[in-house]
Amino acid sequence: MRPRAPAAQPEEADPLPEATSSFHDRFVELFDAHFQRLYRIMNRLSGEPELAADVVQEAFVKLYRRGFLPEAPEAWLISVAMNLFRNERTTRSRRLRLLTPSRGEQVHGGRLPGPEEATSAEDSRRRVRAALDRLPERERSLLLLHAEGYRYREIARALKLNQASVGTLLARARRAFRESYQGTRHAP
Amino acid sequence: MHLDDERIQRLLHGELSGAAHDSAREHVAGCEDCRRRLAEASREEAETFSLFRELDDPAPWTSAGALAARGRAPGGQRVRSAAAFAIALGLAGAAYALPGSPLRGWVASVAGWIGERRPPSAPAVEVAPDSADAGIAVVPGPQLLIVFTSRQAAGWVRIAWTDGAEVIVRAPPGAATFTSDVHRLVIDNHPGAAATFSIEIPRQAPRVEIEVEGARVFLKEGPRVIAPPLDPASGAYRVPLAASGP
Repeated sequence: MRPRAPAAQPEEADPLPEATSSFHDRFVELFDAHFQRLYRIMNRLSGEPELAADVVQEAFVKLYRRGFLPEAPEAWLISVAMNLFRNERTTRSRRLRLLTPSRGEQVHGGRLPGPEEATSAEDSRRRVRAALDRLPERERSLLLLHAEGYRYREIARALKLNQASVGTLLARARRAFRESYQGTRHAP
Repeated sequence: MHLDDERIQRLLHGELSGAAHDSAREHVAGCEDCRRRLAEASREEAETFSLFRELDDPAPWTSAGALAARGRAPGGQRVRSAAAFAIALGLAGAAYALPGSPLRGWVASVAGWIGERRPPSAPAVEVAPDSADAGIAVVPGPQLLIVFTSRQAAGWVRIAWTDGAEVIVRAPPGAATFTSDVHRLVIDNHPGAAATFSIEIPRQAPRVEIEVEGARVFLKEGPRVIAPPLDPASGAYRVPLAASGP
């Protein structure tokens, strides 16, 4: 994903009605409360800081372009960032396939640390990433959203889950992650 | 009757309402088994969160004002449309270039129908990377090591800068296989070959290093570059893949 060009000057011709000050204030509040958390979630999900920053920024830009707040802005931001992330991943894998004829392609994540990379910190990071990557997307997202302090209601809305079963799903996801992490000790 | 998983989790996370919370608390106070499960869930959660923190990288600087300005900026849709057109054009080009692509025949037949077919050009001795139809694109992390596994009989690596965000490697078809993660890109090339590779490196990439058969041939570290002299004609660095250059 390309880095964004510097933001255009706001005094240029504005295609949207001028945002009301209350909307703008609420936008700033949402940014302050959620930007860092969403960035951490997307970065943990993707392992790509640039991609994470890009999709979270894009989610906020989309929110601003709406000109008014959705019913549950936190869940809306999460859903939009997740969708952008999925789209980017899909586009990228398609691009890799097109760039690389099938006989040449072999792309996978985190399985090739050379000896110089095998410090314990990096090794541990690699194991955490591998353990997360093995989980189904829903469990991964659930754990990461909860780790950032999102409430059951917000998580249920963002991931389209039944709110009454979020606790059970969280317990299962955490168990699955721990088993997956233990499994990385013996991975090649 | 013991608390189920849902209620243990909700108790742990403060997600039970007044009466349900009091009732669960009361149960836990008198039930050793549920007390143990609650403590275990709490401990496991703390360990899990601690592991997640190992994945963190510092967030880039931005502000609500900057994103609001982007939201207000005109032409966003047009820029996206132009980008989509460019991508579509690129995909069509890539599809055309793929070996065995039906697009080639289709384009040739259309060209023949128009009556503008050109005579075939002389066979190329060495396929230049500009006409390559193999390659890989990788977004580099804080550092990226690009490894050519073998020296070749001949051939070059042509290295140029890009304003994009991805390291892009192009090669003649069949010249190599690629394996990649965020820190390392392995180009498994053939010792007897004479292929020339092209690599575009983002100017913004913090650190990119290229090795050929274990020897470093190129390093970009911030603004510092260690490389053979820049070829003024092409504006690219040329690194030989043969032991002493072709």
